[in-house]
Amino acid sequence: MGAFLIKDIMLLLRDRYELIILLAMPFLLIAILGFSLRGIFSGDLEALEMDVALVSEDNEAQGIEAVQNNVDGMGLSQEAEQALKQLAESASPQTMLTSLLDSEEISGLVAIERMGREQAEENLEAQSVDAIIIVPDGFTQSALNNMLFGASGGAQLEVLAADGASPKSDVLVSILEEFVRTVNFESSISRLAGDRATVEISGGIETITAQKSMTSFQYYTVSMAVMFVLFVGSAVARQANLEQRQMVFERIRLSNRPPLLYLSSKAVAAAAIVFIQLSLLFGLSTLLFQTFAADSWDFWLGIALISVVLAVSVGCLAAFMVALTLRVESDAVPAIFSAGVISLMAFVGGSFVPLDGMPESIRTIGSWTPNGAALSAYFSWMLDPDVHQLSGPLARICMVCVLFLAAALALFPRKGGAA
Amino acid sequence: MLETDKLTKKFKDTLAVDDVSLELRKGESVGLLGPNGAGKSTAIAMISTLLKPSSGDVRLHGKSVLKDPGDMRRVLGVVPQKIALYEELSAYENLKFFGRLYGLSGKKLEQRIGYVLDLVGLADRKKELVKHYSGGMQRRVNLAAAMMHEPEVLIMDEPTVGIDPQSRNHLLETIRRLNREEGMTVLYTSHYMEEVEKLCDRVYIMDHGKVIAQGTKEKLKAILSDQETVWIEFDQSYPELFKKLSEIEGVQHADADERSLKLIIPKGMRLLASLFHEAERHGAQVTNVHVQTPTLEDVFLRLTGRTLRD
Repeated sequence: MGAFLIKDIMLLLRDRYELIILLAMPFLLIAILGFSLRGIFSGDLEALEMDVALVSEDNEAQGIEAVQNNVDGMGLSQEAEQALKQLAESASPQTMLTSLLDSEEISGLVAIERMGREQAEENLEAQSVDAIIIVPDGFTQSALNNMLFGASGGAQLEVLAADGASPKSDVLVSILEEFVRTVNFESSISRLAGDRATVEISGGIETITAQKSMTSFQYYTVSMAVMFVLFVGSAVARQANLEQRQMVFERIRLSNRPPLLYLSSKAVAAAAIVFIQLSLLFGLSTLLFQTFAADSWDFWLGIALISVVLAVSVGCLAAFMVALTLRVESDAVPAIFSAGVISLMAFVGGSFVPLDGMPESIRTIGSWTPNGAALSAYFSWMLDPDVHQLSGPLARICMVCVLFLAAALALFPRKGGAA
Repeated sequence: MLETDKLTKKFKDTLAVDDVSLELRKGESVGLLGPNGAGKSTAIAMISTLLKPSSGDVRLHGKSVLKDPGDMRRVLGVVPQKIALYEELSAYENLKFFGRLYGLSGKKLEQRIGYVLDLVGLADRKKELVKHYSGGMQRRVNLAAAMMHEPEVLIMDEPTVGIDPQSRNHLLETIRRLNREEGMTVLYTSHYMEEVEKLCDRVYIMDHGKVIAQGTKEKLKAILSDQETVWIEFDQSYPELFKKLSEIEGVQHADADERSLKLIIPKGMRLLASLFHEAERHGAQVTNVHVQTPTLEDVFLRLTGRTLRD
């Protein structure tokens, strides 16, 4: 196995054409796309500045008073009543929200203008504001009841946004969700248990799934990497075809090594090459574009885990392509794969554009491609480094690996005997 | 040591090898002579265990190798017609790879690489990539790779195709040395009669997938013992004259080249008078006449009516 591995890696390193395809091309594309499209990605905050109308239909004073009146009727000791009344006054949820939106961090991103609902809806229609935050009637009372007495329901905020404002409104919803978490935190301190407050989203806004965002360099480093690793499959299959045409394959057979050793060595070589390729692309991108510069060792371990699984899957894909190439005795298989199939896989896998706006069928197909599943795993890890979130995409990659291997074994011409 | 028994290979409707039985005794050098398309390479592939015969058997020391080719592959060194090497690797790297496939490692591997490189005369250029070698040098590395595991039997399929005379001589000398001095058994396939004549003790002549004659060189030439070969050279080409001469009573075979004609005639036949008479009639000038004893080429011509290069 070692002899095959060394030989395959040496051959690849001496093949300038393949090296350009595997390393230079993706790196060039990362640089071009990363620079030219950086405004689109949410990591670039200037692209996300938005005007938001704040409509308050809630009477805060009335809400606090109503809650304090409830306290009176609860038959508590005078000291407890006094403490709860003070808490209701000081923990005003609407004031907390206003403080958040006016804070230096948020005000730089979201320009808040207070107005009536009718005017806000007109402005939204006229696209002079990007979204409306509505503090509904009874917000303060519901939030305080939830916070102080554990009453069900909790506070609700509404966000209205124009269709097509998805990336910006996603950010706004993220901010409000963060606010709701803060309210829950206060609530949990005050009563140690209870229902969560919620942000109710309406008006055709997409529900967001990510809590963070990524830069264009992060997006394209990963998406180009998962696309260009597929070329290793065709490179290995092309080499197998050359070995077959030049009768080196026959010489290998004459050495009496088990035929499957040849196939497995191709898979291992492809996997090793992919891992090296990913390491170089991520490393260089980080070095030159600070793509992942601020991340920890844990983060890199997660990236390495995903890369290993992706590398193994491309190894299995390479084994399948080698088996098919040897079976049909033609270089048409790697040629067709590199000329068309890879582009198709890259498209449905989300390497060219994010799949958010794509039909469900394409997203489903994409999620079952090794590159698409790996892309999903990388993004998931980059936005929220939780190992549990990787299980889905990595399991899909493993299943695809099994399919490729089964197909490779079925197709591989086992010429161990005199055949 | 090695024998085939009624070896046959059929590709769809084409009978590539038909009922071929060969025998190689230990230490001898056997030639498989025939024109392109005679079935030599297919026969070699079956003997090498790379191609499954449609029928027949291949035996090593009396034991069939078809089901378990392991024993055969261990003793066999095959030099294919193509350059079965990695062009992007050096001769040394190629030999190291193939040596490791045969389980060689460490000092033993290095020693063996050194030996085979010396054998083919490329020790001083071992670090160069194979793609930068001349055709002849590539053929020499091709032979070296087959020698890495110290085979007992060397099977060579047209190993000198397309190389310069100097490399050809080097290769032939190497093979002769391996056979004569080291006792290696050689099965040498070629359509070059002079190579087979030079290297081989016994010869099998194949045509259209069949063995049409076999034996020692002397025995085969004895087929033509009552005949002689006359080479006639002219100042230019005379197709009509060549046709007329071929039709002279007693001429058994004729092979015309651009300005020469080769005739196989019975010993003692009085040809020259007719030759000069016809030449004069056609206004042709005879520049040279040469009578020689038969070669294997002549034997092949006699047996098939064609030359080896047809």
